[in-house]
Amino acid sequence: MSVSGAVSEIVAERWVERTLAAYPAEILPFLSGEHDRFRNPVGQVIQESLTTLARELLGAMDNRATAPAIDALVRMRAVQDFSPSAALRFIFDLRPVIAEVCGEVTPQLESRIDELALMAFDRYLACREQIASLREKELRVRALSPAR
Amino acid sequence: MPETLVQIEQKAPRGDWRDPHVEFRKGSICYSAAAKNLGALSLPNPRAWQPMDADWKLPPDWKRIVLDGMKERLKKYRSFRLFMDICVRCGACADKCHFYLGSADPKNMPVVRAELMRSIYRRYFTLTGRLFGSLAGGRELTEDVIKEWFYYFYQCTECRRCSVFCPYGIDTAEITMMGRELLNLIGCNTNWVLEPAANCFRTGNHLGIQPHGFKDSIDFAAEEASEITGLDIEVPINRKGAEVLFVMPSADYFGTPHYYTLLGYLMLFREIGLDYTVSAYASEGGNFGLFSSHEMMKRLNAKIYDEARRLRVKWILGGECGHMWRVLHQYMDTMNGPADFLEVPVSPITGTVFENARSTRAVHICEFTADLIHHGTLKLDPRRNDHWIATYHDSCNPARAMGLLEEPRTILKSVCRNFHEMPENTIREQTFCCGSGAGLGTDENLEMRLRGGFPRANAVKYVKEKHGVNLLTCICAIDKATLPTLLEYWVPGVEVAGVHELLGNALVMTGEKERVADLRGELFAPEAHSVGSASEASHA
Ligand code: SF4
Ligand code: SF4
Repeated sequence: MSVSGAVSEIVAERWVERTLAAYPAEILPFLSGEHDRFRNPVGQVIQESLTTLARELLGAMDNRATAPAIDALVRMRAVQDFSPSAALRFIFDLRPVIAEVCGEVTPQLESRIDELALMAFDRYLACREQIASLREKELRVRALSPAR
Repeated sequence: MPETLVQIEQKAPRGDWRDPHVEFRKGSICYSAAAKNLGALSLPNPRAWQPMDADWKLPPDWKRIVLDGMKERLKKYRSFRLFMDICVRCGACADKCHFYLGSADPKNMPVVRAELMRSIYRRYFTLTGRLFGSLAGGRELTEDVIKEWFYYFYQCTECRRCSVFCPYGIDTAEITMMGRELLNLIGCNTNWVLEPAANCFRTGNHLGIQPHGFKDSIDFAAEEASEITGLDIEVPINRKGAEVLFVMPSADYFGTPHYYTLLGYLMLFREIGLDYTVSAYASEGGNFGLFSSHEMMKRLNAKIYDEARRLRVKWILGGECGHMWRVLHQYMDTMNGPADFLEVPVSPITGTVFENARSTRAVHICEFTADLIHHGTLKLDPRRNDHWIATYHDSCNPARAMGLLEEPRTILKSVCRNFHEMPENTIREQTFCCGSGAGLGTDENLEMRLRGGFPRANAVKYVKEKHGVNLLTCICAIDKATLPTLLEYWVPGVEVAGVHELLGNALVMTGEKERVADLRGELFAPEAHSVGSASEASHA
């Protein structure tokens, strides 16, 4: 695929914008404007993950890059105050973004988006299961303590 | 298909902050306090209820109780009235709260959290608010406001990070404390706060361990420390006339990884020949009273001092605990002090006078140990910690409430050769909270804790990737209990330990047997092997 890095950058930029729009308006300037990754971890994870995913989607689609990027973002959204559909909506925001930037969504891109969506489902469920098992583990420890 | 089944939620529901409505979702709230615990502490309105219920079964005159309570406290605590009046809404604190950063919920901005209370203050306690209501920034006090308070005041860990950035020194933690006090007046409290307080009242510690159980645990630890070192280590309990009363958080003798820190203390005390005692009555350093009301905090804090008086010790040494030090350092003196029946603490080994503890007569173990190291009185072999690449999490209370920044670092750098700091804006005074303090550290609240702990974990992840860090050290019992879960989710592969655990590993004791493993039973790194009582061991 011969789409230049510049296109992937524009895709990433608009994708980030759309994803951030799911957060309350009061926090948007901070989420998008604060670039210190320690002062603004949520904004930075969104920025970094989506930039990587856009690059891979329009490039090599290397699993070694996409998997950690999906994990970082989904892991975070899995604990924020989102329903499952809202947590994963960002993947589906890709279609309109690509159509807007590239004019059309080719069948190859369609199937790549589907692939990312399936990866995201798997990660989301894995994270939710991990939260449940971490809770269980804490409960077991608690049960050992004398008065609880 | 019914329409409700095909509806997909577009966004998390949020709106204008003045709208008090909140949704209580399981997984991100703490459950209500059991009636028996309210009973044990003589608190009002014991009943069966949960935050998810529509009817909270408030007393009929709840509104009057809350407003009267507010009036009384505005008079009693000048800081409360000041904090209600002086905020200029500059926003410097807004993006400093870990809950805000992790949840992206605007009501978690410290300024808005305070505003939830301030708007009621304005409406009922200022002239303009009484006359102009919402035009003057006031809000009616409704049941929904009570629910909102409960949600957001139990979503603040009282960590005080926001206060570091406020040009007026407004301490939102104090406002949260007032909010919780008022909620307590009408029986809206959480079990994770009240059960430890009730236990402490009954048995002397949060876990409800009775004196014989306390003795068993301490004896067990002493035996294990003896086995590890080949030395005879005994721990005096309730011994009258000892020089020092040592008070630690109960998790140290009942939790993991806290327990290894306890082994570290015991070995240190044996090595320097400290004349000390522990107590089955003052068997808790922590003070969950801090998380419900000043009155409760005072009652629990008094036990430590009563015991110090009864045992006729000279001063108090305290273990690795977080909020214990907030209470001791910032409240004890006005609540139960001055402790002038005790002596100003002096290290029996180095002769250092702990001037900073002149009024409370209580010294933090890190101050004590750092002083020993500074004077070169300990023989340490840091190679015994070569299997760890450590970083240090400044536990909020010791760091921000008592300025204990250098002492733990002095110890760590002397007992371990691989130490890397996290980024500047995430440590020391600016440290990010674990997200589980102030009584939020329960399993039912795990999602909220994971949100709140995200900024901290994010910085740990950075040093793990950059330096291969595999150990997060800290000096707070709540940290040790909750950070392992946090890290397992966000940064797998990083463990949690107390500073005195690493000290226990590195401490070369007089006459000790050859040591091949650390306090967790893990073998030392190969080159650190056979250094047992080696003569080449470094003098710190
Ligand atoms: S005290 Fe801590 S948890 Fe509470 S509002 Fe301030 S920063 Fe947030
Ligand atoms: S920094 Fe202080 S004055 Fe500014 S908004 Fe926050 S609490 Fe108010």
